[in-house]
Amino acid sequence: MIALLLLVPLLAALAAVLLGRNERLHGRIAVIGAIISLLLLPFVSRGNFNIGWFSIGNYALGIGILVMPLNMLLLGITLLIAPFILAYSLGFMDIRSEQRRFYAEMLMFEIAMLLFAMSGSFITLLIAWEFLSLSSYLLIGFWHWKEKARKAARKAFTVVLIGDLSMLAAIAILWNAYGTLSFAAIMSSIGAAAPILLYPAALLLIVAILTKSAQFPFQNWLPDAMEGPAPVSAFLHSTTMVKAGVFSAMIFLPLFLYTKTTSILLVLGAVSAVLATMNAMKETHIKKIIAHSTIQELGLMLVAIGSGAILAAAYFFIVQSFYKALLFFSAGSAMDASGSEDIRHAPGMRSNTALYASTLLAVISLAGFIPFSGFFFNSAADAYFSSNMIIYSALTLISVMTSFYIFRWFLLISKRPEDKRLEVGYVSLPKSMVYSGVGMAVLTVASSLSFFSLRWLLPQSALYYLGNLGMLLHQGSTALPGISKAVLETILATAGALASYTAYRKGIRAGHLVSKVFNSEETFSSIYLGMASMACTVSEGAVLLEIYINAFFDSFGRFAMASGAQLRKAAVGSINIYAVIMAVCILAFLAFGYAYMAGLI
Amino acid sequence: MMGYIAPLGDAFVLLIGAVMSIAVIAGAAITFYRRKRAHLALSVIVYAASALLILYMMLAGGTAQMSIGGFMLINPFSLFFSLIFTVGILLVNIIAYAYSKDYNEFALLASFALIGMYMVAFSLSLVTIFIGLELAVLPAVFMILLSRKSLEAAAKLFVAASLSTALLSFAIVLTYGGSGTVALEQYSGAEILGFAALLFIVSLGFEASIFPFNVLLPDVYSGPPAHITSMLGGVNKKVGFAALMQVLILGFIAYRQAFILIAVLSVFTMFYGNLVALMQDNIKRMMAYSSISQAGYIMIGIAVANAAGISASLFQIFAHMFIFIGVLAIIAWLEGHGKHKINDIEGLHSENRFLSFSLALLLLSLAGLPFTTGFVGKFLIFLSSINSGMVWLAFLGIINSIISIYYYARVIAKVYTGRRVSRGIKVDRGIAAVVLTCVIITLVFGIWPLPLMHITGNAAAALFPAAGAA
Repeated sequence: MIALLLLVPLLAALAAVLLGRNERLHGRIAVIGAIISLLLLPFVSRGNFNIGWFSIGNYALGIGILVMPLNMLLLGITLLIAPFILAYSLGFMDIRSEQRRFYAEMLMFEIAMLLFAMSGSFITLLIAWEFLSLSSYLLIGFWHWKEKARKAARKAFTVVLIGDLSMLAAIAILWNAYGTLSFAAIMSSIGAAAPILLYPAALLLIVAILTKSAQFPFQNWLPDAMEGPAPVSAFLHSTTMVKAGVFSAMIFLPLFLYTKTTSILLVLGAVSAVLATMNAMKETHIKKIIAHSTIQELGLMLVAIGSGAILAAAYFFIVQSFYKALLFFSAGSAMDASGSEDIRHAPGMRSNTALYASTLLAVISLAGFIPFSGFFFNSAADAYFSSNMIIYSALTLISVMTSFYIFRWFLLISKRPEDKRLEVGYVSLPKSMVYSGVGMAVLTVASSLSFFSLRWLLPQSALYYLGNLGMLLHQGSTALPGISKAVLETILATAGALASYTAYRKGIRAGHLVSKVFNSEETFSSIYLGMASMACTVSEGAVLLEIYINAFFDSFGRFAMASGAQLRKAAVGSINIYAVIMAVCILAFLAFGYAYMAGLI
Repeated sequence: MMGYIAPLGDAFVLLIGAVMSIAVIAGAAITFYRRKRAHLALSVIVYAASALLILYMMLAGGTAQMSIGGFMLINPFSLFFSLIFTVGILLVNIIAYAYSKDYNEFALLASFALIGMYMVAFSLSLVTIFIGLELAVLPAVFMILLSRKSLEAAAKLFVAASLSTALLSFAIVLTYGGSGTVALEQYSGAEILGFAALLFIVSLGFEASIFPFNVLLPDVYSGPPAHITSMLGGVNKKVGFAALMQVLILGFIAYRQAFILIAVLSVFTMFYGNLVALMQDNIKRMMAYSSISQAGYIMIGIAVANAAGISASLFQIFAHMFIFIGVLAIIAWLEGHGKHKINDIEGLHSENRFLSFSLALLLLSLAGLPFTTGFVGKFLIFLSSINSGMVWLAFLGIINSIISIYYYARVIAKVYTGRRVSRGIKVDRGIAAVVLTCVIITLVFGIWPLPLMHITGNAAAALFPAAGAA
């Protein structure tokens, strides 16, 4: 059944590529494939498997598969979202060519994500991890005739490559320490190796997590990745692929706890969240605002994981997917309807009621109003941080600012436009785009309620390999929030929303105000700028490194070509010359060989 | 002791002989009447029948072996090679039927050559190997001559073959002098035998395209039309390896230095093949050098000189034969449309998707793409050399794999960039069938290599107990 789960999207991808010249057919096949594999999900059996490939002597190559509640969670999210994304693409990608390539790459990504979600050993994880990087690269650069898209794709690939290499190095260390690469084996006997051996592995794994989840100081690639089509952003760069890093953090948590490196996750997650929130407030690109918001949320997940609030993290992990995908749907619709990437030039969403209502739902969820997902996460997470004032105040600040920037985003695109053509653009959006958004809104509401079934979704046994460390993680994280908490959260969210409303609807030139606040050195602490530039340096440095590496390989290739040219010169000539060359070679070989065999050399 | 392969063991061997005689005699008759189609039907039926016979003997026989008259031996090793030769010649015949003007003559010569190849595969004596090699190589010279334009290539092959023959006979004479026998058994002692081993390496190295004895071969490969090249590089070269493995492993396993020399030569062969292939702008010539570099990888397995290494080499030989013939079938199709240079195939994907995809896949398999036979073969080879302590050899091999990606990717990039106005160039059904077969085999045994590894393992093991028992 597990193999079938991977096989169905593969067959759908093949069918989408091979079948038909009808442009609409490819997408429909892809949607059907995604739905079929979703239907297979309930039949997937739990457990720890090893699918052998081949073995030589005592050396076996195989694919380790682990299906546990945590894995089911990611599998479920991926499978549930995929049909909606593909259905949305039916409308979004309609006018553009190369449908085959798009759907084939999307399904390839889905396969990679499913493989990642059920990987049970580091080898499987690495294979899936690489395929994720590759499909991300291909899909960001999908519109390859755009110079910016190509650059963004390369940047994303290069930055993530750092993580890939770190992962590989970490795997080598763990292999040396434990002699096995199975998660279950390593994480359940984590104490078998001395912590001092494992520090480098833990740090390298954190680097891999940070690059994949676009966290400080590697966060720079994600906003650029918005050059890809909107369904790609909705699928890869908000809901599934970027969460691979966070998911790995959950899987490797015993290692981080054992080496006491969780605080690194906590600090870097918090820093990323704060930076991303600030960036989101001054950004004007429709999709990049949401991209910054994604970085912020991933940062919050890492904060939750780093402080042991694994249930809060898992809850956020579930719900964030749905409203984030929905926001990207709306952003894509806005860009499609207005033909502009700038938030200030795409008003008029209100004219399409279904789109407007579903977008509003997503915005409210993100802002943290009761009874939607953002609220539950905030209250669940706050339970952990009430003792840590710095984190607590940072979280509070973030929740106000989140409400502020997302309402800014929403109010600007739903403003009544002066140009009536924009309204026409919104009204005439393809049905598949609007209704997959509506479907996603239903999922958003439904997923909010998963807060009450978390114990069922992630029972204690889900974290079986955590052993006694697990006890540490299970403290009151699903207690229902009290009234005072609810009131406080709502006040915070409303404050942000109101601030945003006054700033943007009342016509105050708040755009200037905000950019003044966040861009000028007088009014804002230079720490932020310093950190931002440092992060940029790291990310840009990676790209620079890529140039050097390219130059190295290029020169290597040139050298090889040059020596090849010399050899080729020798390889052109008449039989006489060949005969001489050959005779000399044979004599030399015989003389040398004879001397060698006789022991003279 | 020698068990019988199957209750019908003798009969089956006789059947192969009978089947081959039909091929030759009926082929000669058909050639006289110049019936192209009939000849193709005859060849396909005869070769397919004998391939099935061999496959049956292989699967039913397990690891058993049987000798015929003391000069021929049937064991998993010989069956493995005879299967490869039969299937290879079968595929080459189909390509040649589509593009050769003198198909009748070609098919007849190919059936002569196949008999020689069988002799090499089944041989238990140096003399049989000698005769078999002659019988396998000489028809190739005439095949090249069939196309009339490539006189130079034929001359070069003839020169190389005669030099090889001379050295081979010298080596056999020295072996007889040192050991008092021409039977293929384990030799030891006598310094003169060590020299004979070197001469065997040189003379069989011509056939197997080992550097530096292969300097004539690229011209030989790239001169004649592609269907003949597919025969030379896909099948004929494997005869050299069959002979080399038998002589060195069965006869000279005691002379460890000879295997070190093979390792050194394999490094030179890989580098020579890959570096010169980088510079080629003619795609057939590039494939010629690429097949030289592949010969280098195969030699690593021989240099390891244990069952794992030989098994890996056999796997790679199997993989390379199908990949090479598949690529050459595509090249034959390209040549049929007047495309010879790498630049000519720009935008091929808009003209024929299936062949473009197959070309890309087969080339990537040569470069070592996982889930193809090319990857598994190289993986096994490098693993065997690492396991036997020759890490440096595996390291140099991996470096060469990286270099080779450069020129394979160049071709693939050309295929998939640019567009042509014309759509859908027709493909001969035979060519499509050959390419499809090669692609399927490359993928199936890449994804599920165990059955093939079992067969090559048996074949390799057959070389070693024999050496130990003698």
